[in-house]
Amino acid sequence: MTFWRQFNTLMWVEARRSWVWAVALVGSLLFWAWGMNQVDLVDSAEQLGVRAIILVVACGIGAIVLCLMVGRIRSETRHGQYQVLLLTPPSGYVHVAARFLFAGITAIIYYVIVGGLAWWAIAQAHLQLDAGSVAQLVIACPLYGVAVGMIPVLAWTILLMVFISSYRIAGPGWIPGTVMILATPFLGRWIVEGIWRVSYRLPGWRLFEGLRTAIDTAAWEAEVEGFQGVFALPQEPLWIMLALSALMLAVAGRIWQEVEG
Amino acid sequence: MLARLSDVTKRYLRSEGLRSVTLDFPAGEVVGVLGLNGSGKSTMLKILAGLLVPSEGTATVFGGAPRRNRARVVYLGETDALWAWMTPADAERFMVGLYGDFDVVRFNDLLDSLEVPRRKTKAMSKGERGRLRLAMALARNARLYLLDEPLAGIDLLSREKILTSIVKEWHTDETILLSTHEVAEAEALFDRVVFLRDGHLALDACAEELRSGGRSVVDVFREVLS
Repeated sequence: MTFWRQFNTLMWVEARRSWVWAVALVGSLLFWAWGMNQVDLVDSAEQLGVRAIILVVACGIGAIVLCLMVGRIRSETRHGQYQVLLLTPPSGYVHVAARFLFAGITAIIYYVIVGGLAWWAIAQAHLQLDAGSVAQLVIACPLYGVAVGMIPVLAWTILLMVFISSYRIAGPGWIPGTVMILATPFLGRWIVEGIWRVSYRLPGWRLFEGLRTAIDTAAWEAEVEGFQGVFALPQEPLWIMLALSALMLAVAGRIWQEVEG
Repeated sequence: MLARLSDVTKRYLRSEGLRSVTLDFPAGEVVGVLGLNGSGKSTMLKILAGLLVPSEGTATVFGGAPRRNRARVVYLGETDALWAWMTPADAERFMVGLYGDFDVVRFNDLLDSLEVPRRKTKAMSKGERGRLRLAMALARNARLYLLDEPLAGIDLLSREKILTSIVKEWHTDETILLSTHEVAEAEALFDRVVFLRDGHLALDACAEELRSGGRSVVDVFREVLS
């Protein structure tokens, strides 16, 4: 009971301190939707391609904003709110979980709406997807993308900020920060290569089985060649990234327990 | 013994905050932690609160590591650390949710007696924010209160309200460690005074004995630290 009361309170604190970020982020999708609506090309396939690029940009910017939202430990450290949180009874794991969960929920809402925009763009290109494909596009793909891409990035950001702040009192907080930031691309490459090697050992999840038919029915001017109409998402990246994220959050929670304020 | 520092030294990157300090804090006294800027007062209180870890020596609170007992210790830091969006109602929700010993009735009484306005902290003066933070701290039913410069940068009337509240809320089984530069205003509160100079313990004395010897705490402050 005490745990849930404390966890709920920390979630409420997260919501209060970050709601402007979350609302601005989700609201920014109106801008991207407006931008997509401005794309007016004769060829439906080309129009869909340009709109897809806009959505990819929206995904990237969303990821950056989410990282900035959870990574504001430095500013809280300067103004003392971090000290207030360090003094509270819940363990570091609970603090980290609350911070991560709020950002994770925001990410899911954001990327599900992006999935909805993708559906709208596809419908505008005269592709009629079946109900299963729509659900896969709007729900399954965003959730998979958040789990494989966004959740590990958020976990890494939280770990990075907690790690830097753990050296703040001693002075050289910038040294571990620099080391971790410099190590990020190498670590990322190593993880991606590792995942690539083990992917598809388990059966993949087949998606958009009606898409080839929809493309043929739409009779686009530009021919989509070489596309057989079926995607298969590998399971392995999902499980590996979720496990890695859990590990990073556990380490961040443990470090939080020792941070000086 | 509520808290104990045994030969505690705290080193920062280029300086020492505390040097070989040994002190015991039994229940039931108001201790003035006094010293000039940089003397180690905040470092000592932060170590007892579990915010800092000694570089050498040991600190214990309620017989254990301070960090593990942070739910049982009240620490009011010198930093004006409340979130800008926070109202007294938000502060109440925050404290009720996180601290099992928070007394809502006492908190609202303190808000009234300290005349804290019911608006966001970003619309409050520094004195009003200081009084809100003190109300949050004193509304907890703890036995060890660590108050680091609660009077700093606050106007005279607010300082009087704060000192009155500390006296009113203190119970005989509780210990308060109060660091302040406003020695003359606060000295009537003190049962005991601890003087720190350059991180060293310069004097640990009973305030009543000083007064019976015809000297005020302010006089001793000047003698010891000048």
